[in-house]
Amino acid sequence: MSEIVKKQETEVTRYRPATDILEREDGFHIYIDLPGVKRENMVIDLQDDELTVSGKTSLAQGEKEHFVEAQFGDCEYLRSIAISDIIDRERIKANLDGGVLELFLPKVEKIKPKRIEITSA
Amino acid sequence: MVIDFNTLYNFPSRFDRVFEDFFKAPMGNDRRLAYPPLNLSNDDEAIYVRAEVPGVKLEDVELTLTDKTLVLKGERSAPEGKFYRQERPSGVFHRVINIGVPVDRDKVTATMADGILTVTLPKAAEVKPRNISIEVA
Repeated sequence: MSEIVKKQETEVTRYRPATDILEREDGFHIYIDLPGVKRENMVIDLQDDELTVSGKTSLAQGEKEHFVEAQFGDCEYLRSIAISDIIDRERIKANLDGGVLELFLPKVEKIKPKRIEITSA
Repeated sequence: MVIDFNTLYNFPSRFDRVFEDFFKAPMGNDRRLAYPPLNLSNDDEAIYVRAEVPGVKLEDVELTLTDKTLVLKGERSAPEGKFYRQERPSGVFHRVINIGVPVDRDKVTATMADGILTVTLPKAAEVKPRNISIEVA
């Protein structure tokens, strides 16, 4: 069970953050809710076809605080999204504002049809 | 096309989620009950109310403090476009938090950082713990 292994590694719980994926004329926009994550504590990786977003929260809470109710806590967010070839990987933009990461994935300028020449022997 | 590969094909992570839910029942259940998730805490000085409201600006939140309650109201709007996947909650939210201790109403502050709203309600002077020095006669 990988859950147990994970706990030993990270000690904090790992969540899949709520994500919106939508398309507009200019390309794809992805919104990921990452409340409590600071810019320096997050990593965006693009490897092959997989875009992975991860971030750790840093909730600064006082030492003497006594909790009556806790519905969220320090955690790690992790989400990967598979992307296809029509996305221009060089122009992907990311912006973290107010706990929401916005990713903009533009489409490649033009998917040119390619003719394959047949050479006869 | 963007394909959210995981939800359909990544079986290990789906299993993980089943176990996650199983192990973390006290917190996991609450997360789905009401929006936004809240943390309530206090120390000697104040009561702290924290809420996870990513993407909401401080001016879009309406905080009302009555005698015994703090009312948190606001709206989260969904972005425009053709959705492939929509998981982020949107719409009007409204939560009422019971405050059982008298607070110093004039010194209540609210801050927003990284999508987390923190409301600090300083306790009224009469309920703060006080050290009383006993003089030996």
